[in-house]
Amino acid sequence: MLRRHWAMILGLTTLFLATGTAFATAGGATGSDVAHEWNLLEELFNPKKTWLLIWFILISGVVVYYIRVASSGKDLKVREIAGLSAVDEAVGRATEMGRPVLFINGILDINDIQTLAGITVLSRVARTAAEYGADLEVPTCRALVMTTARETVQEAYLAAGRPDAYNEDRIYYLTDEQFGYVAGVTGTMVRDKPAACIYMGAFYAESLILAETGNHIGAIQVAGTAMPSQLPFFVAACDYTLIGEEFFAASAYLSGDPKQMGSLKGQDMGKLIGAFGIILGVLMATLSVLFGGGIFETVLVYLSEYMFGDDGFLMTIILMAGGGG
Amino acid sequence: MTKIDLESINVILATDCGSTTTKAILIQKIDGEYRQTHRGEAPTTVEKPFANVTIGVANSVTEVGELAGRKLVSDEGTIIQPASDNEGCDLYISTSSAGGGLQMMVAGVIAEMTAASAKRAALGAGAIVMDVISSNDKRRPHEQIQRIRELRPDMILVSGGTDGGTTEKVVELAELIAPAKPQPRFGSEYLMPVIYAGNKDARGNIEDTLGIDWIDLAVVDNLRPVLEHENLGPARDKIHDVFLEHVMAHAPGYDMLMDWTDAPIMPTPGAVGDILQTIASQRGINVVGVDIGGATTDVFSVFNETFNRTVSANLGMSYSISNVCAEATLPNVLRWVHFDMDERELRNRVKNKMIRPTTIPQSHEALVFEQAVAREALRLAYKQHKEFATTLKGVQQQRTVGDTFSQQSSGQTIVNNMELDLLVASGGVLSHAPRMHQTAMLLIDAFEPEGVTTLAKDSIFMMPHLGVLSSVHPKAAGEVFERDCLVFLGTCVAAKGLGKHGKPCFTYSIEGAISASGSLNFGDLELLPLGQDEVATITCEPAKGYDLGEGPGKKVVREVRGGTVGLILDARGRPLALPDERAACQKTIEQWTEALELYPAASAPEPVGA
Amino acid sequence: MAHAYTPGLKVTSHMAYSVKRILPIKGDVLVSVGDQVQADQVVAETSMPGDIYPMNLANMLAVPPSDVAECLLKKEGDSVDLDEPIAKTKGLFGMMKKTIQSKYTGTIETISNVTGQVILRGAPIPVQVKAYVTGKVVEVLDGEGCVIDADCSYMQGIFGVGGETCGPIRMVGSAHDEPLEASSISEDMSGTIVVGGGRMTAAAIKKARDVGAVAIVAGGIDDQDLRDFLGYDLGVAITGSEKLGITIVITEGFGDIAMARQTWGLLSSREGREASINGATQIRAGVMRPEIIVPHGDAAPPTTSDLDSVEEGLLVEGRPVRIIRDPYFGVIGSVAGLPSEPQVLDSGSKARVLEVKLDSGESVVIPRANVELIEE
Repeated sequence: MLRRHWAMILGLTTLFLATGTAFATAGGATGSDVAHEWNLLEELFNPKKTWLLIWFILISGVVVYYIRVASSGKDLKVREIAGLSAVDEAVGRATEMGRPVLFINGILDINDIQTLAGITVLSRVARTAAEYGADLEVPTCRALVMTTARETVQEAYLAAGRPDAYNEDRIYYLTDEQFGYVAGVTGTMVRDKPAACIYMGAFYAESLILAETGNHIGAIQVAGTAMPSQLPFFVAACDYTLIGEEFFAASAYLSGDPKQMGSLKGQDMGKLIGAFGIILGVLMATLSVLFGGGIFETVLVYLSEYMFGDDGFLMTIILMAGGGG
Repeated sequence: MTKIDLESINVILATDCGSTTTKAILIQKIDGEYRQTHRGEAPTTVEKPFANVTIGVANSVTEVGELAGRKLVSDEGTIIQPASDNEGCDLYISTSSAGGGLQMMVAGVIAEMTAASAKRAALGAGAIVMDVISSNDKRRPHEQIQRIRELRPDMILVSGGTDGGTTEKVVELAELIAPAKPQPRFGSEYLMPVIYAGNKDARGNIEDTLGIDWIDLAVVDNLRPVLEHENLGPARDKIHDVFLEHVMAHAPGYDMLMDWTDAPIMPTPGAVGDILQTIASQRGINVVGVDIGGATTDVFSVFNETFNRTVSANLGMSYSISNVCAEATLPNVLRWVHFDMDERELRNRVKNKMIRPTTIPQSHEALVFEQAVAREALRLAYKQHKEFATTLKGVQQQRTVGDTFSQQSSGQTIVNNMELDLLVASGGVLSHAPRMHQTAMLLIDAFEPEGVTTLAKDSIFMMPHLGVLSSVHPKAAGEVFERDCLVFLGTCVAAKGLGKHGKPCFTYSIEGAISASGSLNFGDLELLPLGQDEVATITCEPAKGYDLGEGPGKKVVREVRGGTVGLILDARGRPLALPDERAACQKTIEQWTEALELYPAASAPEPVGA
Repeated sequence: MAHAYTPGLKVTSHMAYSVKRILPIKGDVLVSVGDQVQADQVVAETSMPGDIYPMNLANMLAVPPSDVAECLLKKEGDSVDLDEPIAKTKGLFGMMKKTIQSKYTGTIETISNVTGQVILRGAPIPVQVKAYVTGKVVEVLDGEGCVIDADCSYMQGIFGVGGETCGPIRMVGSAHDEPLEASSISEDMSGTIVVGGGRMTAAAIKKARDVGAVAIVAGGIDDQDLRDFLGYDLGVAITGSEKLGITIVITEGFGDIAMARQTWGLLSSREGREASINGATQIRAGVMRPEIIVPHGDAAPPTTSDLDSVEEGLLVEGRPVRIIRDPYFGVIGSVAGLPSEPQVLDSGSKARVLEVKLDSGESVVIPRANVELIEE
């Protein structure tokens, strides 16, 4: 398992180096007269991208490390996402009230990453619905999403030990038309009064229409989307909202897949490094303005042009040294 | 039962028939106030060879009568009513937990929703809940049926579905019970009482499914008519009725006892819950009560007039002591002990206590260890209580954009130690501790009260009697509770928050019965003398980050009550943390032990096994 | 008041033992009054209703629950085999019919038109009740079971695990305080009840089970050993249903403790005799202790009268007692004094006490709750 991951990193590094070389060669061909003096190693390696390589190895390493930790069975702590634990509650409410659970997978097709993340959440919702014995209704906006949803839900019912409770007619395709779909869904909502509405995927203008209708019929609503423009509507009208990254995190958390969990944790570390870099940069920029450059200016330049730019590890120095020679 | 003129009542007799002893108390009106004057006890006589509970009752009452110089039991062995000058009593009431109390099985659709409400109703009525069956309890139907078949409950409470909600799921529950055919505990010739308190639309179907010759079905209002609201009253009342009609009527001698009493006989824990609720509502305070026994620990709480009770079935000090050690783990128990003990030896001791539950600690080490176990038992029981005493689940939330990053889920615990006003202890290890200081410390360590909390113990386990009395004569119950039932230990003033050892935590100044001022550093514990019935005003100024009830760093002025222990100032922080390293932990505990004068007479303990 | 009641375990050479053998549900009793039965003989049997398997046909057929009955090919009470068609939809104009096969073997118990569930009940589970003790049937409870009487020697242990079994008694070691080690257990102990004196070790229990002994009895056991053998820490003392392959009974307590001389003597005198043993222990309301029963059978009852009942009794001066709580756990002595006033203990509590003169000659003060009567 581990070996495979490191092999993956090695492979990707080679690929990276190769692309780097391609760029370097291209760069060299456009006029630099230093390039031709490079030896074989330099031919394979674009020193300008050294920092990128370091980041790449560092973050991939962290990801692989966490994947390894996750696969070893150790519990990776993921902050409790209120919206996720609310799924049980929402499905429970529907069961008690004898009403269906409505799941909307967004309005984009299956190739959209948000739709896929939504499908993972659907799998969890379906499993809970199967365990609790609630009716799950999934109207979709795309035919392919319907097929995927059916597969997913059937599998979840099977996993919950209730294959007999699965009814594929409750997962159906409405229309590709954005507002035709919305009209159909809201109609269902008003007629059947589902006790729980769950929106997970990519949404546009229909977000508030759906969420408001759901609120009106007294349903517990859980939403999750990475559409920044629609988030405020969901936050205001729904009981729980998974915001942006949280949505993908939830998907990883739910799947329980060590690869997804490890990547999640590794990516978080990457974000931490990024955030730290930004803070350092802001600090340096401020200080260099206050104290008129000096060491702060140097650090700032190194940060922006080298560490997060593409001037290489100590490219200038090498170039200077090379030029001098 | 005839209407009682409350004003003319001068002599009240109350009994509590426990599994082993029957306790009787006498309450008399002295100078216009009700006081508990005498008590007596005798072995309970439910089991053979007597098989008549009234013999034990008469014996205990006779003892009270002899002490009071009052004839209470007639020559025929009945209780004399009404009272004349030096004979009889005006009011006779009783509770019972003999024969293992009231044992119930409850069922609901969703474990966290209607099933939880059903459990709350059963526990509130004073029952022991043997099992909760729900659609989502992860058991396959045939496993559930097997379980129902194995249990021998006194009665079954079925709920599920909101009014107008699911019918299907409720009928499914009934379809589990019907083929399982559980046997009632008292003999197979009795009907199994089943109370239905679920979706009103499903009543007809339930009657069809459960209308079988071996079931006595009673239908009451839904205990969760909508998910947003609980209506436990009708179900609780019905449980009491069925308890009297079926369970009590089948226990030997109870039919006679029921004729004697002026109020329905109540299950003991139900009565304890009632008195705590009465007190909480009379004074507008939040109360937590705990009763730690040999096999189980009951925790009662009233927060903002919401009552909750939990029974931790396997947390106790004798029969269940081994389970406490298993659940809490021995290292967790030993962290409260300030000297070395041999683990292997201790494990054997714990098991020996389990198989010979009546023994008492003789040596100092044994006492310290037993109290360490008690801390863990209480801590675990309180943890379970907090998890159970929550706001309702399955309720729609109202959100604003301000909630974006702080979406709290429903079902949060309503137990808030900062708002707790009174903590009442009862049960052997707490009420019979050699020093009250130990009782107080046990309570503080296990419950971790925050802010200002009054500590008390039930002097002679009188709360059950007063619970029934509160349903007939709340005034008398309140007066006796205040004056005779509770022994006040003192008040605990504890800061919430964590900090560095030795850094300032809060300063205080006290005026009133005593005058004092000073400051405490984080990790300190201080005991100030404040005697029984003495009252003082304390002003505390917490350091930044510490909260004493008004918010972090805010000044607090409160009236505090003294007691047999005094005023305890606790700057150990909350949540209470002990050093992981054993030697450091022992040192810390030793400091606290000294600060509170827990074991002043004890000489330096010898290592176990020496 | 110079006496007090203390608990004690029954150890007696002669007793009329009576046992009720009852089926969990009504069934057939195979013996009649006056029959002589052997311990492993089946006296009553019945079959428990089989397991329940619900099938939600409404969903499987995709029809409303109320229509399920019309689609069924079977009716209530019919038996169904695995994969046998159980229901069929009417289809559209006689076409596109959907058939559902049964996933279980059993009989159809109920068909619900509310939930659309069909409940199948599996094959009945046979239940047998054995005699448990060799003796005579004195009463038959119609359809429920019977009562068996036997004259026997009877010993209660303090704690046990594992259920009812029977076999001949086999003594190991020569003294009541000799620990029971694995080395003293041999292959020829298969089917026997192995009795040792002092503490039994984990290795001894494992070896006894491996050689096929049905039960192992000794004075004590280390909690750690028991935990290792069970695989979990025993929380509450309600035992008897464990499936360990061997029944364990300890007669005195946990730790290094010798079997009481009387128990040891009684068991030694019955070596080789068939005995019945049950490890079931319940220490709560309705106390149940493990027991060893040695029926006298045809043999004449023992004449030794000094081995008599030590059930509940009175504490009087001179009576031998055993201390059952640390710091003197397991120590034996005799009552030397019974002060009536409560005294303050080392722990600071006040309790009624007694003075015990130990075998070593030392005299100690012990709370009355911490001793039990024994007969030496």
